[in-house]
Amino acid sequence: MRTAIVAGVVVAFIALVLTLGAGDALGPNAFVVIGVSQGCVYGLVALGLVLVYKGSRVFNFAQGEFGTFAAYFVFLMLEQWKLGIPYIVAALLAVLAVILLGLAMERVVVRPLLNAPRINLLVATIAFALFSISMQLILFHPEPHVLDPLVSKLPGVPATGLEIFGFTVEPQRLLIVALLAVLAGVLGYFFSRTDLGLAILGTSQDAFATRVVGIGVERMSRFIWAAAAGLGAIAGILFVPLTGALTPGVMTTGVLIPAFTAAVIGGMTSLPGAFVGGIIIGLIQSLSNWAAGHYHIGGDLIQAKIPGTPDIMLVAILLIVLMIRPQGLLGSEA
Amino acid sequence: MTNVLEVKNTGIRFGGLVALDDVNITVPEWEIVGLIGPNGAGKTTLFNCIMGAYQPNTGSIWYRGRDISLLATHRRTALGIGRTFQNIGLIRGLTVLENFMVAEHSRISYGAWGALLGMPRSFAEERRLKRNAMEVLDFIGLPHLADSHLDGLPYGTLKLIEVGTVLATDPDLLLLDEPSSGMGPDEAHEFGERLLKLRQTLNLTVLMIEHHVPLVVGVCDYVYVLNFGKILTEGKPQAVREHPEVVAAYLGGEAVDHTSEADPNTEPEDAGAPA
Amino acid sequence: MSTAEATATLEPVESTRFTPSAQGWIARLVVHVLIFGGALLITAMVPGYWAFRISLAAIYAIIGLSLNVVLGYVGQVSLGHHGFVGIAAFISAWYVTTKAGCSLEQGCSLSSFFVATALAVLSGGVAAGLLGLVALRIRGLYLALITLSYGFMAETAIFQIPALTRGGAGMPAPAPDGFTSDNRYAFLTLAFLALVIYIDWRLIRSKVGRAILSIKHSEPVAASYGINVTAYKTMAFVLSGMFAGLAGALLAFRVENVVSNDFDFSLALLWVLMVVVGGLGNRVGVVVGSAFFALFPFILSSFGTLKNFFDKHAIEPELVGLALGAALALFTIISYQGGIGEQLSPLTRWLGGKPFTRHPEEHAAPKGHQRKKLLSRMGLDKSGETPTEESAAVETPSEPVEEDA
Repeated sequence: MRTAIVAGVVVAFIALVLTLGAGDALGPNAFVVIGVSQGCVYGLVALGLVLVYKGSRVFNFAQGEFGTFAAYFVFLMLEQWKLGIPYIVAALLAVLAVILLGLAMERVVVRPLLNAPRINLLVATIAFALFSISMQLILFHPEPHVLDPLVSKLPGVPATGLEIFGFTVEPQRLLIVALLAVLAGVLGYFFSRTDLGLAILGTSQDAFATRVVGIGVERMSRFIWAAAAGLGAIAGILFVPLTGALTPGVMTTGVLIPAFTAAVIGGMTSLPGAFVGGIIIGLIQSLSNWAAGHYHIGGDLIQAKIPGTPDIMLVAILLIVLMIRPQGLLGSEA
Repeated sequence: MTNVLEVKNTGIRFGGLVALDDVNITVPEWEIVGLIGPNGAGKTTLFNCIMGAYQPNTGSIWYRGRDISLLATHRRTALGIGRTFQNIGLIRGLTVLENFMVAEHSRISYGAWGALLGMPRSFAEERRLKRNAMEVLDFIGLPHLADSHLDGLPYGTLKLIEVGTVLATDPDLLLLDEPSSGMGPDEAHEFGERLLKLRQTLNLTVLMIEHHVPLVVGVCDYVYVLNFGKILTEGKPQAVREHPEVVAAYLGGEAVDHTSEADPNTEPEDAGAPA
Repeated sequence: MSTAEATATLEPVESTRFTPSAQGWIARLVVHVLIFGGALLITAMVPGYWAFRISLAAIYAIIGLSLNVVLGYVGQVSLGHHGFVGIAAFISAWYVTTKAGCSLEQGCSLSSFFVATALAVLSGGVAAGLLGLVALRIRGLYLALITLSYGFMAETAIFQIPALTRGGAGMPAPAPDGFTSDNRYAFLTLAFLALVIYIDWRLIRSKVGRAILSIKHSEPVAASYGINVTAYKTMAFVLSGMFAGLAGALLAFRVENVVSNDFDFSLALLWVLMVVVGGLGNRVGVVVGSAFFALFPFILSSFGTLKNFFDKHAIEPELVGLALGAALALFTIISYQGGIGEQLSPLTRWLGGKPFTRHPEEHAAPKGHQRKKLLSRMGLDKSGETPTEESAAVETPSEPVEEDA
């Protein structure tokens, strides 16, 4: 019920801004679209974060790296090894590889630390992230590479922007939003209709209680990490091309912190909250860029008059939420 | 005779749960007052309110005629209130000797920043502290444990050490939380004798949570019975023990009230969500 | 009478604590001299580019000790330390360049250096103190998140202020007169490291350290011992910030130009890993671990064959160090929680005056005759009675109900 209300408010807000700003070239509309698509990316990563939090009670600092790894893997297959496979196949292979990586991480890092203080596991995920970034730096060097967006390989899509409502939008962004909508539907079904999904949704505070109830805790833990890895991979493959620069750690430096903020706002224990939080953060970020004085619409980098305004806003929001309502909008923890 | 401790109309609720409701307790000087009641009645919660770990929603706490309701915990300790905990109030990461040195914390005369810079006074104070701590350790017969960590020490030893550390703060009023738990009937009896001696030699006033009825009857001058957060009855131990409602509350009709007393000395889950 | 008065009249039971013999003390002294003297000698004699690296090792050790106060003593994760260090570095550089009139051509007076350093220390303390206030309400994973955002904000907002950082070109910070050579600067950093180690030692050995550790392990018990939890928690953060600020200043004058790229958030992560590998709460471990992280890539590239390999594949040895460090951290967390510090503990304990042993002995539980002594002191012994056995395990509390007599 609360989910519906919050989601409704967000949608209403978007609709309002779009109608008010229609036709105004310097208006916020393009930013709303960018914000929503950016928010979808954050939501995707945040979803992975919430899943891991529900399953392992830890913040997964390696969540961003699932994405970077996947992006590099696609790049490797298509540009370096020059395999002649279709983009979509390479993307799926990359997602699969990252899922295996997630499972490996679960086995090697998470399982041994099952009863250790959560801070230990947190630092372990940090170590993992740093290891991943340094390996990328060694193998690929810091210079940015270019990863083409998936959408450019789809037939019938114009290479440059798509014209809607009087402004130009990158088609990849629309793809992201569309994909996210589909994913949200699929996940919604999974978590409310299947046994495993319901079990994860209802994960209680400790593994012991869940084990007593008879749900395979190990199986759930493996699934959660595989799912988080997969979602992170998808986010990376979809988003990195938009940045125009595939660099080591790109998902961690660019996306992880807003994604965390999104997860906190939505509620670290709420799956729909991750989505909603993501959209909210995306909108806040991009509208504050617009408000602070912006420039170039259509996928280019955005600069603000006051340096770092969006980031300061994020930190402020994070602090306020944690102080006043730590369980976020839709979370259930005290 | 002065009242060392007065709990006036104290009430506290956690969310929808009323843990204490209009509780009134008076502890006159040099008396040993017992606080009994079924598990979950709110006894430890009351201790937490007296010590300042919890802030009651209603009522006030008075110490020697002074309202201490707004004082921070460490201030109340400085006034002379000492307290033991249900699951042994010692610092697990420190050695036995260090625990004793922490117990004397409020009586250390050097300033914090001066200590960091190695001011000579801090060195001298530290030496004095260590000597004092060793003396107390000797007094309770455990000098060989000075550098031991607490893990692996027997329960009875830990209890003894805890009593030692609390006494080292030189308290006026001693709040004991189930001191006889883990003891058999003989040990509990011995403890009672010891407590009476200590009251005499150290001029103590005691408020004691207890389940062990013979101990309560043998040692306490006055008893309060707490049930579901309310004072059920009060009086001399013998009279309270025969009170029909007390018998009913302890024997049959004791509701399966598992609403846990949120205990500040059980560590919350490491998730670290704000308190 | 008080407890103190009651105990004052008793003779002490013989102490069984170990003290080394005269030869033992001399041996320990010799080893100390070898270690410290050796370090100083090496610093004096190696070529400049080695000394340049040694100063980084000393600075990393200071950072490690700074982070150790928060991570090891207080028990919270800080992922934003690069913010404190960076801000301090910029402030010290800003001071000498814009206020004290130093420049790369004319050099910098020692007094300006000290003022700049003091400012850096102050800024670090204030910045971390603010974090400490937040840490009073929020802990654990959520606090880690806030530190991350905080550091991130420093990077994107504060480091971009042109007056402070002069954009990409960076703010110059000429080394102070008399310490412009790499070897001498290394000595300077080592001297500051010694100071930090001393303060840390005094911290732990005083009521402050005990208070902070007590708070970490059990806050309610600490409070009931009379410890002002709020004050000590904040103080720990402030101290950590001050150490970090010092490191920032030393970093600035080491490279003589402060650029924002030098303070990347991956550094904050690296530093956390560095402290973990060193061993949380273990001073020696942290110093050794931090120095290792600073020196390792350098040492790697001094091996000819490795250097060729690296050059051929255009690999920076720093990155290999980073990857290895991360792997080591994982390994430490999963298998060897005590880190380097624990591995070194037989040696450090010996140097501190304890016997050399791989496993510290547990002292025996009190035996029968000890209890008798106890009872007699309490005036409670009843002759002829055998004392009851100490309970060896947690017994279930006795029933609340007693049979009616």
